[in-house]
Amino acid sequence: MKIRNQKVDETIHTTRTKMDHLVLAYKEAPWRTQRKWIGLFLVGTIAVGMVAGIYLNVTSKAALAGREIQELEADISDTQRNNADLETELAELLSTENLLARAEEVGFVPASPEEVVFMSIPGYFPPAPAVMSASNVSRHSAALDPRFSQSLFGWFDDQMQKAATR
Amino acid sequence: MKQQYQWRSLVLSGIFAIISIAIVFQIFRIQSSPQAASLRDQGDSYQGEYQTIYPPRGEIYDRNGHLLAGNKTVYEVGVNMGELRNAQTIALALNVALGMDAADVINMLTQAPANQLYVYLGDHVAADKVEELQKLQDQFAAQYIGGENAPSLSGLYFRPHLSRSYPESELASNVLGFVSREDRGYYGIEEKYDDLLAGQPKLVWIPSDPNLAEQMPDVPGGSNLVLTIDREIQATVENILDTTLSATGAENGTIIVMDPKTGEILAMTSSPRLNLNEYWNFDKTYPNGTAFNRAISTQYEPGSVFKIMTMASALDTGTVAPTTSFFDPGYYEIGGAYINNWDGGAWGAQDMVGCLEHSLNVCFSWIADEVGNTNFYNYMQKFGLGHPTGIDLVGEASGRLKLPGDDDWYQVDLGTNSFGQGVAVTPIQMMMAVSAVANDGKMVVPHIVKSIVTNGRQYNTPTQIAGTPISAQTARTLTEMLAQSLERGEGVVDVPGYRLVGKTGTAQIPGPGGYLEGVTNASFVGWGPIEDPQFMVYIWLEKPQTSEWASLVAAPAFERVASRLVVLMNIPPDSIREMMAGQ
Repeated sequence: MKIRNQKVDETIHTTRTKMDHLVLAYKEAPWRTQRKWIGLFLVGTIAVGMVAGIYLNVTSKAALAGREIQELEADISDTQRNNADLETELAELLSTENLLARAEEVGFVPASPEEVVFMSIPGYFPPAPAVMSASNVSRHSAALDPRFSQSLFGWFDDQMQKAATR
Repeated sequence: MKQQYQWRSLVLSGIFAIISIAIVFQIFRIQSSPQAASLRDQGDSYQGEYQTIYPPRGEIYDRNGHLLAGNKTVYEVGVNMGELRNAQTIALALNVALGMDAADVINMLTQAPANQLYVYLGDHVAADKVEELQKLQDQFAAQYIGGENAPSLSGLYFRPHLSRSYPESELASNVLGFVSREDRGYYGIEEKYDDLLAGQPKLVWIPSDPNLAEQMPDVPGGSNLVLTIDREIQATVENILDTTLSATGAENGTIIVMDPKTGEILAMTSSPRLNLNEYWNFDKTYPNGTAFNRAISTQYEPGSVFKIMTMASALDTGTVAPTTSFFDPGYYEIGGAYINNWDGGAWGAQDMVGCLEHSLNVCFSWIADEVGNTNFYNYMQKFGLGHPTGIDLVGEASGRLKLPGDDDWYQVDLGTNSFGQGVAVTPIQMMMAVSAVANDGKMVVPHIVKSIVTNGRQYNTPTQIAGTPISAQTARTLTEMLAQSLERGEGVVDVPGYRLVGKTGTAQIPGPGGYLEGVTNASFVGWGPIEDPQFMVYIWLEKPQTSEWASLVAAPAFERVASRLVVLMNIPPDSIREMMAGQ
């Protein structure tokens, strides 16, 4: 019985040894595992780096655009003020007081009714009354199409209102 | 050796772990500390700021598009305390350039609370002054680098914004009014249309982070106004008023020019006038509550110009016709009192044109008596007397027309009212009432604003008819009578080639104990050309010195105005117009 058991033990041992060898044969080398982890880490780092890079790029572009908007807004304000200044300055130069002084300087005098000669000119139309409507158009209404600023709901609301007024 | 390294690394790891834990702990401690809220607020304050965007104030133009009220850049001056280096230099520079008190400036800068970032020093500084200061600022910055006590304007900050400016200075000042430094309109158009001109300010969040920057919301500017005023006519009329005041020695004067068909005011002026760019002289120019625009705000007894309305009511009711005769004995008894003529004389037999021509109080008292209380006062009310005309200007007076049944009305008032005594009117009320005569019976509401321009759209104000107090036939008959009386009578108005209509009015001035001696109000209302009235002129001179009679002081002024109007308005002489109409 004892002899038989010994044989069984040997068989088991042999089988185990064979299995160990087989496992060992198929087991990954430690340096491979290490490389795999390093690779994974690098891929992760690159991925994070790319996301960070893209984020930075987008953010910096947005910041630049934002700064540009601020500068353009400031430019618009400056231009509007310049326009107002120039318009007022022109009006001062062409004021009745200045024009009268200049007319007198060059020898003009007010005409009396007897000195005025009236002629009938076919096709002549007297000057039209002042039309000022173009001077005060909203700066955004002409520059920005509603398509660029309107939300989907805003567009839908607009369409509904248009349909209701038809 | 290996164990030694292990210890070292363990110690280092421990230190780093403790530091990390300490940092995290500190983060939580700060965030839950009592100062957390104020720190958060401080942080938020650097995120941006709320700014109120004030739209540029709407501009005001005359009827031909000439700018009467515009905007100009001025600057707010302040100091960014973070950049302040030398308060003394700033105080000295502002004292020299802007006349500010140096001690005040130093006090403001040195006594500002420690957390104050910006100190406001002044506003409405002209661009040229700011340019001077900026040059000096650059010069100091280049010349003195470093040094604690080195002269420096560092921190001095200029914020530009628009402010009201009047390129024509005094022109039409009575009509325009002015805008204070707080951007509030006072008097005239500026006050009447203040909301419209000022536009709607908007509160906007301006982020410091450019990532959050967005396009600024559209803040539409205030509406622009186009007035009915004609700049050339206004300047001419102001010039004539000034020379008339100086020639007659009158205390004050008013001239209005209106289109009698539309009610458009072509010119309106009264003395005194104000340079609107220096409105802070208001108290000096208008002391003791002097009216800003006497044409609409000051009521007075108009005298004989009122006879136009009396005659209109009599003609319209059929009480008289142009040929109706009246014998003037030199007095007329009404309500127990006697009415006399302006010269105290008796003018004998007269027709109605004669009564107008000689401006006979006796005749007009009789006419009013014949028309009767009810009819007479009904007509006067239809002419709008005793009520504001509704002209689009601030501060219009309503005048006073006593009516039968009022506590202070007596029968004699019918007689005195007939020739413009005991009734208080404003020049603009008289213009509106008389416009019915010049405009085929239709009385027009006077107005100053021709159109309003909002968001690129121009809205023209329509002509408003206030009523038709008399028939077209009455209006034409009376016009002809007035023209004849002007031609036949004093011959005070002569514009060659043009047939004009007009009536003088010399009125005593009521005082505390009756009418004042030796002083009068001289008025004239006239229009032309008679066939196609294009202008109506009202002149009122207060207490003229050279003569008390309107025919000698107000009528010549009307003649001068009419002579210029026919040229400025391109009105051909009657003969040419008739010829052209016949073609």
